[in-house]
Amino acid sequence: MNTGTKTPVIEVRDLTKAFGHFVAVDRVTFEVERGEIFGYLGANGAGKSTTIRILSGLLMPTSGQARVHGIDVADDPERVKRSIGYMSQRFSLYPDLSVTDNLEFFGGAFGMSGRPLSKRIDTLLEQVDLIHARTTRTRDLPGGMRQRLALASALLHSPPLLFLDEPTSGVDPSARRNFWRLIRELSHQGTTIFVTTHYMDEAEYCERIGLMSDGRLVALDTPANLKRTFIPEPIVRVESQATDLDPILQTLRADPSVVNVQTFGPALHVRIEKREPEPTERLRQRLKDAGFKAHLQPIEPTLEDVFLEAVTRK
Amino acid sequence: MRTELLAVITKELRQTVRDRRMLVMLLLAPVLQLTLLGFAVNLEVDHLPAALVDLDETPTSRAFLQAMVADPTFDVAITTDDPDTPILSGEARVVIVLPRRFEARLKTGRSNEVQVLVDGSNPIEAQAALDATRRFLEQRSVQQMASLAQEMAFRSGRALKRPSVEIKVRTLYNPSLKSAVYMVPGVAAVVLLIVTTVVSAMGIARERELGTIEQLLVTPLRPTVLLLGKMLPFAGIGLITAGMVLGVGTTIFRVPVRGPLSVVFVATVLYLMSTLGVGVFISTVARTQQQAILGGFFFLLPAILLSGFMSPIENMPDWIRVLAAINPVRYYVEILRSSLLKGAGFAELLRPLFALLIFGAGILGLGSLRFQKRIS
Repeated sequence: MNTGTKTPVIEVRDLTKAFGHFVAVDRVTFEVERGEIFGYLGANGAGKSTTIRILSGLLMPTSGQARVHGIDVADDPERVKRSIGYMSQRFSLYPDLSVTDNLEFFGGAFGMSGRPLSKRIDTLLEQVDLIHARTTRTRDLPGGMRQRLALASALLHSPPLLFLDEPTSGVDPSARRNFWRLIRELSHQGTTIFVTTHYMDEAEYCERIGLMSDGRLVALDTPANLKRTFIPEPIVRVESQATDLDPILQTLRADPSVVNVQTFGPALHVRIEKREPEPTERLRQRLKDAGFKAHLQPIEPTLEDVFLEAVTRK
Repeated sequence: MRTELLAVITKELRQTVRDRRMLVMLLLAPVLQLTLLGFAVNLEVDHLPAALVDLDETPTSRAFLQAMVADPTFDVAITTDDPDTPILSGEARVVIVLPRRFEARLKTGRSNEVQVLVDGSNPIEAQAALDATRRFLEQRSVQQMASLAQEMAFRSGRALKRPSVEIKVRTLYNPSLKSAVYMVPGVAAVVLLIVTTVVSAMGIARERELGTIEQLLVTPLRPTVLLLGKMLPFAGIGLITAGMVLGVGTTIFRVPVRGPLSVVFVATVLYLMSTLGVGVFISTVARTQQQAILGGFFFLLPAILLSGFMSPIENMPDWIRVLAAINPVRYYVEILRSSLLKGAGFAELLRPLFALLIFGAGILGLGSLRFQKRIS
C-alpha cells in the first residue's frame, strides 16, 4: 500500500450501522496505527463483528466514515478487499477439500497461480505448522489446526492488515496460546492486526483496546492505561469455602473503605480506597471478627474488572 | 480474470470428484434411472392377465379359448363362471364372456354378442387392454367368417371371392410402436433436468450453509466469475451425462439416431442453460440445501408432468397448455424425439430450439441478477 507513514491504517469516524431500528454500531470513532495489535472487546452482540464487516467491505455503513489504507470502504470496497486479510468468526473454508486445495482456491481467487502461489502456500504452511497436514481434509482437522489454516488462508495475498473476528472461539487454551504467538510474530513483521475477542485474558496481548458495549465504544487505550483510569484503587481477591458468599459480601460492603465488591466466579473482588495503608490486613481482620473463614490476596486489576467498570459507568 | 475463473472451476470439480455420492448422483444415477425407467415405463400391453367365462362349452367355444391362450396379448389365467371376481381380485384385467348358444348361433350365421369386462381403475392400461381385445376379437370374427364362408362355398361348389378392400397400415418412424423408443428421449430429458437443477441449486446453498460464502465475499472474486465457475463444470458434467444417456438409449433400447447429432448437442447445451439457470434462481431464494432440494422439486414436478413425456400435451386443458408452452423440458423432449426418431434437422426444429434459447437466456439472466444482488 502506498500510504504515507503518518496515515493511520484504519480511520473510523462517527461510524454508525443500523439494521432497521436496531443500532448495531453507534457513532464509533477510532484509529489504528500501522503494525499495531488492536483489540476490540465486548460481549456478544456489542457490535464487534458488524464493525469488522464494515471495515472489510462486506457491509455498507449507515452513516459516518470508515477508511482502510486511506480508501473509503463505502466508495471502493473491492479495493479494500485486496489489501486486507479477513478471518471470520465461523470456520469458513471448504470442509470437503484438503488443506492445500483450500489454499490453492483462495490464492486463485486473489489472482495468484503457478509457482508463486505454490511457494507462498509452502511458506505459510511452514509458518502455521501445517506442513504435515497438507493433504488432510479440513473437516478432519482439530479445532486449533483449522484456526491456523484459516489464518494461513487470510494471509495468502500478504495483506498488510489482518481482521480476525473471534479467531480463538471454541479452541482449547494451549491452541489459543499458539495462535497468539503467531499473531505477535506477524505484528513484529509489520502486519497490522485488528482482532475481536471476548476472552479478557487474550486482550492482554493487544497493544491497544477498544471496549464496546451496546454498539458504543466506551473506552479506548492501552491495557495498562485502561486499568489505571478505570480501577485506580487496590483490589483484594476474597475466596471462601462457604457456599453462600452473600453474607461475606454484605460484611465487606459495610466497611467504609470499600468502594465496591463484585462477584468473580467463586470469588469476590473488593476495591478499596487508595488512602488505606494496609487494606488486605484490615479486611482479613474484619472478616475474621465477623466469623467468616476466607482467603484474601491483593491482586492486579484484570481487564475484566475494567470491562465491568466501563460498562456500568456508561 | 482467467486465473480466478480457473480457480473456481478447479475447486468445484475437486469438490465433486472428492464427494463420491455426488459423483454417483451425477454420472451413474442418470444411466441407472434411464435403464430402470426405460424398462418400467412401458405402454405396450403384452401378457395381459385375462379370464374367459365360457357359458357355451362347445367345440367352438373351446377353440376360442385355445386361440386366446395362443395369443401373446393375453395371459389366460383362469376360466370361471363368475366374471366379476377375477377383476376385483386383480387376477384378470380383462374378462371375456362367451354367451350360451355361441356355437349354435355361429353355425346358423347369426351374430353373437360377446361381453368384454375391462378393469378401468387404470385408464391407460384399460384403453390398451380394450384395444388389444377388440383387435383380437375382430381377427377372430374375420377368421370365423372366412372359415364359415369357405365351408358354405365348399358345400355349394362355387369358388370363393375374397373381400375387395384390404386395409394395410404402415407406421412410420417407430414401426413396431415400441414405447421404449418413444420414452427414452423423455426419460433422458427428465434425468438431465433432475441432476443439473438440483445440483446447481444445492451448490450455492451449500456455500451459504457452510459459511464459506463469507470467505468468498472478502476475496476480490466477482459474482459473475463465481457463478460462471460454478456452472461450467456442471454444464460439462451434464453434457457427459447426456452422452452416456444417449449411448444407453441407442444400445440397450435401440433408439435410432436419424437426425444430425449436432442438433442434439446444440439442444442439450441450450437445455442445460435452462436447467442450470433454474437451479441458480432457486439457490437465490433458498437459504439451506434442504430448501434448495424442496424448491427444486417444486419446479421439477410440474415441469416433468407438463413435458409431454408421458401424456400428450394436446389432451390437456387450455390453461395448462399455456403453462406447458413455457416449459423448457417440453421443447427438449420434442427436439430429441423429432431428431432421433424422425431425423429432423435444424430447419425443422427452429421453433423449439428458439424457445429453449429464450427460456435459457431469460432464466439464466434473471438468476445471475438475483445472485449478484444476494451476494453483495
